[in-house]
Order: sequence, then structure tokens, then C-alpha cells
Amino acid sequence: MRLYSIAIYLFLYVPIFIIVLFSFNAGRHASELRGLSLQWYGKALANPFVVDAFVTSLVVALTVAILSTLMGTAAALALQRLKGTLRILFDGMIYISIMIPGIVIGIATLVALVTVFNFLNPLLASVWPEGVKPLKLNMGYATVIAAHTLFTMSLVIILVRARIVGMDRTLIEASTDLYATPWRTFYQITLPQIFPAILSGFLLSFTFSFDDFIISFFVAGANTTLPVYIFSSIRRGITPEVNAIGTMVLAVSLILLMTAQYLLHARTNR
Amino acid sequence: MSKINKENRPITSEKLMNEFHRYQKGSITRRHFLEVTGLGTAMTVLGTAMPSLLPRKAHAFGNLGNRLVFATWPNYHNQVNLDEFTKMTGVHLQMNAFGSNEEMLAKLQAGGTGWDVFVPTNYTITNYVNLGLIQPLDLSRLPNYDGSANDPMFAKPATVNGTVYCVPKNWGTTGFIVNTKKIKSSPKSWKDFFDVTMGAGSGHTIVHDYQLTTIGGALCALGYSFNSIDPKELAEAEALLIKSKPHMFAITSDYQPGMRSGDAWMSICWNGDATQLKNDLPEMDYVIATDGGEIWTDFYAIPKDAPHLDAAYAFINYLQDPYIQAREASVHGYAPTDSRAIALQPDSLGSDPILHPAAELMNGLEFGAAQTMTDPVRAEVIARFKSA
Amino acid sequence: MLDNEDSKPNHWPTAALLMPTTMWFVFMLILPLIVILIFSFGERAAVGGYAASFTFEQYANLPARLKAFQNTMIFAPIGTLLSLFMAYPLAYYLAMRVDRRYKFILLVLVIVPFWTSLLIRTYAWIFILGGRGIPLMLEWIGIEGVRLVNTPGAVLIGIVYGYLPLMVFPIFVSLEKIDKNLLEASNDLGGTPFKTFMQITLPLSMLGVATGCMLVFILLMGEFLIPAFLGGGKVFFIGNALVDLFLQSRNWPFGSAVSVTLVVIMLITVSLYMRLTMRTKTGRDESLM
Repeated sequence: MRLYSIAIYLFLYVPIFIIVLFSFNAGRHASELRGLSLQWYGKALANPFVVDAFVTSLVVALTVAILSTLMGTAAALALQRLKGTLRILFDGMIYISIMIPGIVIGIATLVALVTVFNFLNPLLASVWPEGVKPLKLNMGYATVIAAHTLFTMSLVIILVRARIVGMDRTLIEASTDLYATPWRTFYQITLPQIFPAILSGFLLSFTFSFDDFIISFFVAGANTTLPVYIFSSIRRGITPEVNAIGTMVLAVSLILLMTAQYLLHARTNR
Repeated sequence: MSKINKENRPITSEKLMNEFHRYQKGSITRRHFLEVTGLGTAMTVLGTAMPSLLPRKAHAFGNLGNRLVFATWPNYHNQVNLDEFTKMTGVHLQMNAFGSNEEMLAKLQAGGTGWDVFVPTNYTITNYVNLGLIQPLDLSRLPNYDGSANDPMFAKPATVNGTVYCVPKNWGTTGFIVNTKKIKSSPKSWKDFFDVTMGAGSGHTIVHDYQLTTIGGALCALGYSFNSIDPKELAEAEALLIKSKPHMFAITSDYQPGMRSGDAWMSICWNGDATQLKNDLPEMDYVIATDGGEIWTDFYAIPKDAPHLDAAYAFINYLQDPYIQAREASVHGYAPTDSRAIALQPDSLGSDPILHPAAELMNGLEFGAAQTMTDPVRAEVIARFKSA
Repeated sequence: MLDNEDSKPNHWPTAALLMPTTMWFVFMLILPLIVILIFSFGERAAVGGYAASFTFEQYANLPARLKAFQNTMIFAPIGTLLSLFMAYPLAYYLAMRVDRRYKFILLVLVIVPFWTSLLIRTYAWIFILGGRGIPLMLEWIGIEGVRLVNTPGAVLIGIVYGYLPLMVFPIFVSLEKIDKNLLEASNDLGGTPFKTFMQITLPLSMLGVATGCMLVFILLMGEFLIPAFLGGGKVFFIGNALVDLFLQSRNWPFGSAVSVTLVVIMLITVSLYMRLTMRTKTGRDESLM
């Protein structure tokens, strides 16, 4: 069994190793190794479009994570009180937003929003005050954030709800018996207990949004997220610059993880 | 005509090519190149007649912003030119590569692309004009463009209803490329192409992933026109394609990696890619099929809602400079349409059979027709082929 | 909020908390789905796009993409099962056999590849399976002419590789939760390790297995990158068909019909699957969702 696990880890890491190795390629083509150099890291960092794409991905992912955590937690709490058809309806929609393939929602959102914008933009232009440039609705930051949040919000609802279901109700009862206000009960009893679910929801939402390609490909408009940039790099003739980007993202994630691990251990002191 | 160098002795065309290659790669400066090849004197003389040939100062450009997004094809530009443009103007370029005009059209139709410049092929221009996706060019902002210097056969599609919508980039042909080390039979026609695909080259052929060239090649193999939209002929072409599909290596317009790695031995190919491949791998042979094929022109155009219009004009203007055109051509391997640029190319390029094929081979080639782009039957055929 | 039975039913907080979510569902889920449903009954405009109409011809044309549907319906379950069989032993090892100190770090090491972009990882496989990778190494030991890239096998490898971490995680979580005392008790009562596994461990881990399988299956049904890269354009999934319809043929109505069909297929398969796993599960009414 141990041997098997080692084999699996090898399987997982050989491509990663190749990616990192080729990021140090002194040659131009990503398929032939010609000596080692750091040139591609320099080129990637100096390329304003790489930096742009990275920042865009970061901003979008953070916004998505925050929005979906807030809305999802609120919804999970509120859904406890819902019964009957309304409850079934909501459950259904949560279920569908998770289950719908990214490509379908990406395309459907693009088609729907383009149609709506084409309809609204002339209207806006006609009612807009003279001399001021009219507001033009376009695909961009807002649309890609909104599209990602649909999926991640439902994810958060599921995670938090599972945790709420497994919670100890007696503590809540005790709290209200002791005359605590609902807010206080929530803040001091409920929240700490569901916090792990909220945190994992936040992290998962961030990861999903940051790495998403399919939905961003369709609805991001002129803005490029990092995965979309990498895709068009691959299209135009892949250079080791892409490997450098991938390695850097990996390195940053590992560092963040180490920090989180350290902080967690320092806090809980197991 | 021999080029005279500084010591007033003619240099060999081989040395000229060497120096040209070094210049194109950026290893030597323009000044050194001009000196060594003696073109410097010529430049000074011509420079007064054509001021655009003299290097410009950056401040002459005014405020262009610092971004330009353009949509083009793979392996289609000289990075040295792009870098020089950025250095001169401070505008950073983002290049998006596409494998087909249909995809560019789909993106533009969906809206909000953010493109400032794009590279359409001749058969798409009227469609873009009809759909209102492209804007007419203000030629006064393109002083480097000289309409009369461009071969009218190639430049004609740029003008629709008397308005100029784009300027030519280069022209080319579509044939196929063969790795002669692996395929010994010397295929000469599209019929041969498909025969070899199902025979000696099974498992090692690439076809393009869009309708014009792939369906066109199949149509020619069957003796029909490259641009046919006749449903009967298209049905036969589809049958041929589907029959040969299991023998293909890949369906993609980015065929260079496959050819270079040796996984693919034959591919539908544009002649400039053929030049690039042949430079590195002499066993590559470019074939213009005897039963037909495509001849085309690519243009620079500006989409309707380009966000950085000033930068777009500056960029296109820069690229229309004959010197820059010649430098572009030396890397991507396609022939310019501009006679001034052609004059600047080394003689050996002028007689290169890939860039300038013999007249009788060219006779069988057709320019792509606009209706192939919008014809729903052709679109369905290629989709069914890919899906099969 | 969670309150006890004494308070008067106050709907406002609930409504307020649910309002943002509701808006999201309406605008970003229901609206797009309605639009593509409408479009699926339309016609392709002459130059591509949508032309208002009411016709069933798009749905009648679905068999033209039969192969794509077939490919997806074959590869998705196979890919899911393959990742399950590869992931389960690893998850078991991590949950049961590994020392507590190393569990976290080893688990994370499984997830880490997930943090490099899927695109780059898949592209690395093109290299490994291509002319300069494994086939080259095979040639060194004398096996010639092996073609690995642009085959259905390559796509399968890509799928398993891409989704393995996603499968390991839920299975690990549910295996971890198993009370070790149960296993001890089974041993004490004379059960062989195999019997313990079959009758205690496996059933108790089913929740994780179901979650993992569902996640992977859902993502696989919509996959288009892996077949595009590793299939060389020759292996067509529904995802590829959709991308092609919208980005090449620009046939929005037909693309919408295919999308609607895909959603319906998913609804049916996933509901069936859930019902199946719910029935075989023992224990509390723990909602999977």
C-alpha cells in the first residue's frame, strides 16, 4: 500500500516537475531544454499583461470569495427557517447551480447578458443627460464576478448548512434561556461552530474563481484573467514564460499554505 | 543588382543574408547593418525621398496610452519589431492568437472584445462591413501606407463600396507541408494528400480546424472548386473527410509544434509557416497542390469600438513602413504586397519558390470567397467532421 | 436566525438574508437558462447568431452530434470510476495508516498540483506523451512507433490526472471520521481485515465516495480543455461541440439546444445517482447537499 501511494505521488508530480524544470529553459521552445536560465521569470514579471492578468484574477477571486461567503452564510442560516415549496424551490436552485456544467453557464450567461445589454444600451443612451458619456453595459469585471459567485455561493450554502445540521442545538437553547439576544447567540455560539465551514467555503470559492478558465473565457470580455492569458499563450506558441507563471503561482500558494500551517499550529498549540 | 558596402566593394548575397538574419534577430543594430551592407548610403539617398525610412524619435508620437490589444495568427510577427514599437512609443502590446477567421468573427459578434487591431483575411472583409464590426480607416493617419505601391490583385478586398477598411499585411498561399524524411512518395495534389493520409502517412497528418482550408482541400481532391457551397459537392467532401479522420494525427491550425516534434509528417500549411519550418528543418517540403488551393491576403484592420484608437493607428502605421515590413517578412516568411518592401528584401528571398511560386502553380489557386464564411452548410460540415 | 419556538414568526430577517441569494439565482441562473431555452427554439441568423423563430429543428438536429454525446457519456463514467479506484487506496492509506503528524502535509501534497493551472498541467502531459517524452524513452529500450498523444487513452490519463485530487479529498474526509473503536470492535469480534473493510469501513465511507464521484462526474460532463489538448481535436466531447458551435459555426440556436439537452441529461443522471446512493446508505438523514 505504501508503494502504491508513492507511485501515485510520483504520477501527480512528474508533470509538475517538468513544468518547473522547463521554466528555467534557456531556449525558446517549451519542448526542448537548452540549458538553464532565469530569463523567463524576468520576462513574465516585466510583461504588463501577465501582471494585469494576475491582478485581475486576484481581485475577482477575492471579491467572489467575500461575496459568496457573506451571501452563502446568510442564506444557509435563513434556509433553516424555510419550509414547504419555497424550501424545495431554493434547494433545487442550489442544486442546479452546482450541477450545471461550467461551459453551459458560461455560454448561457454570455448569450443572455449580450442580448440584455444590446437591448438596454440604446435605451440608456437615449435617456442619458446631454453632454455626459452614457453608461455602456459591457462584459467585464462585474460579469465575471457575478458568474463565478453563482457557483461558489451555492457551494458555501452547502458547506455551512451541513455544519449547521450537525450542530449541537442545546447550546443555542441554553443561550436563549440565559436571555441572550439572537444576535449575541449567533455571534458567540453559532458563528464559532460554523466557522470552519465558512472558512473552507471562503478558501474553496477563492480557489475556484482564481483557477477558473471556462466561465472566464466566455464572460470576462476585454479583461483577461490569468488562466485565460495562459490559454492564449498556449495558443500563440507556448514559450517557457507560461511555465514561469505556473511555477510562480505554485510557489506563492505553497508559501501561503506554510504560513497558514504555521499560524494554525502556533495558535492551537497541539 | 549588387549591394555596395562601405569600402565600395560589393558584398556577396550570402553575407547580406547573414547580416540580415543577425539584424532580424536583433543581434546587430540597424546602423551596423546599414553600414556593413552599404545600404546606409542608399538609405540616405532614399531617405530624403521617403522620410518614413529614417528612424523616428519617440516624442513625435504624443500620448498613446500604454496598452494595445491585437488579435492575430500564430507565428505571424517579428518580436523584434514589436519590442521596438514598444520602446519607441511606450505602448505595451498584447497579442491574442487565433486559428481561424470564424473564431475572430464569433468574438467580435459577441462584443466587448477590447481589441484595437486585428488581422482579417480577404474573404471576411465584406462580412465585417455588413455586420458593422469594422471601422473605415482614416488614411491621413497612415502616412506610411502607399496605396499605389500595393499589388491591386492582393489589395482589392480592402476597399468596400469605395471606402478603405484595412491595409494589406502580406499575401500567401495555402498548400501542404511534407516531411520528406518520413514520407517518400512526393505527394503533389490534394488527392495525393488524402491518399497518403489514409496510406503511408496514417496517424501522422494534420488538417486545419476551420472550414475554408480543410473543406477546400477535400473539395479540390474531388475535383471541385475550393470555394464551393454546392450541397452535393459538400456532402462528398464531408464523406472524404470523415473517412480519413481516423488516420489523422490532429485537427488544429497550430500545426508547427506537431511537425517540429516529428509526431506529424504532413499538414495543411500556409507558406510562411513552411518557410519557418524549412529554415530549421531542411527536410520539410512545401507543396502547392496541382488540383487547387488558396491564395489569400491578410490585412490590418480596426474593429468598430477599439478603445485605443490613437495607439492602433500608430501601430498600423509603424507596421506599414517598408523597412519594418521587410523585417517582418524575414521572420514570418510571407511575401509582402508592398513593392517598396519587396525591393528591400534580399534577392534570394525574391527567388524563393515558397514565397514567390511559379506562375503556373498560382493559376489553380483561388481567393477565398466571402460566402464560405457565412454559409451554414459549410459550417455544419466542418462541425460534423470534428464531432465524428 | 435560529431561535426557539416561543418567539413570534418574524419573516423579515429571513427574507432579508435570502434576498441577495435570490437575486443572484434569478439573474445569473434563471435568466440565462430561460434565454438559451428560448434560443434553442430559434433559427441561426444568416451570418451566425440568433434569429427569432419557433421551430423544433434544432432539437431534430441533435443526432448530428451523437458521437460527442456518446463520447462524453462513455468517458465521464469511466474517468470517474478510474479516479475512484486510484484515489480510494491513497485516501485509505492517508486516513488509516499514516502517522498523525504527517497526515496534513501529505494530504496537502495531493492538492498542491491542483494549484498549478489545469491548462499548464495538461500541456505538460502533451510533452510527456508526445514524441519527446515516453515514446522516446520506449524507443531507447527498443519499442518503436508508439503513439500516445492525441488518443482517447491520452484523454483518459489527462482526466484522471486532473481530477484525482478532487476525488481523494472527500473520501479522505469521510474515512477520517470513522470511529477507530468500531474497527477495533470488529477485530475483537473475530472479523478478518477484509471483512472489516467490506462491512464497516467501506459503507461508512460511501458518503465521501458519493460526493467525490458526483463532483468529478459533473465536472467531466462539461469538460472541453482536456479532450482539446490531449485529443488533438479528434476527440470531441459535448463541451467541445458547444465551444465549436458558439465560436466557429456561430450557430447560437443549435448550441443552445445542445446546452439544454446537456443540462437535462445531467439533471436526470445526477438525480438517479443521488437516489441510488441515498437508498443504499445507512444512518441518519444526513443531507448530501
